[in-house]
Amino acid sequence: MARTESLSPVTEFVRKGAREANLPESQMRELELVIEEVLMNVSRYSYPEGAPGMVTITYSVPASGKLAVEVCDQGIEFNPLTATPPDLTLDLKQRPIGSMGILLLKSFAQSLTYRREQGWNRLTLAISANL
Amino acid sequence: MTIEQTQVGDKVVLHVAGRMDAENAHQFELRCESCIAEGFTSIVIDLSDLAYISSLGLRSVVAVAKKARDKGGELRICRMTGLVRQVFEITKLSQVFPLHDSVESALIGG
Repeated sequence: MARTESLSPVTEFVRKGAREANLPESQMRELELVIEEVLMNVSRYSYPEGAPGMVTITYSVPASGKLAVEVCDQGIEFNPLTATPPDLTLDLKQRPIGSMGILLLKSFAQSLTYRREQGWNRLTLAISANL
Repeated sequence: MTIEQTQVGDKVVLHVAGRMDAENAHQFELRCESCIAEGFTSIVIDLSDLAYISSLGLRSVVAVAKKARDKGGELRICRMTGLVRQVFEITKLSQVFPLHDSVESALIGG
């Protein structure tokens, strides 16, 4: 269900994958940030406010030091990769209060792929151990 | 997240420790709004012990900064490190908020 209370169990689940992938502890916060940003995007854009929504998260370890996480939802079609990037030159008065989540997601995930398939948004992200 | 408040003259210093994320960013915003309502529109936030901030945390910081400015005050940030500093730099909020190395520097301001 797309609720902020779901964040901690999801984060713990993905951390388990990170340990299996031998990602260093120093990257755990980056991984948590990526997961939080993905889930907040699902909550904000895929499901209308107040409507319950199912999200599935799976992970795989394609090689030691590499973690792949797939986040899927059945909400409104939304591809974060095509969202308009924020204007970072704006001063405080002109800056919108939000709009940084997708930028952070793109900055900390080594790769991101999106597809819409049979009513599902499927976002796959990869995190690799920093060398 | 814990927030420790100290008054220095007509300014308030908030030492924010832990994480600022989807689950608690609003707590920070409410605390700052409370300071502003009490008349403290110049707020310094010490982030030396903040280990994590997400976009919702940034959202709260920007919202508070706008409110402080609307009241004739200012939000200043000091002592951020690690991932938090990285997040501010990626989003170029490090240019919106001059980043101070110490509470004293932030209190003096500019």
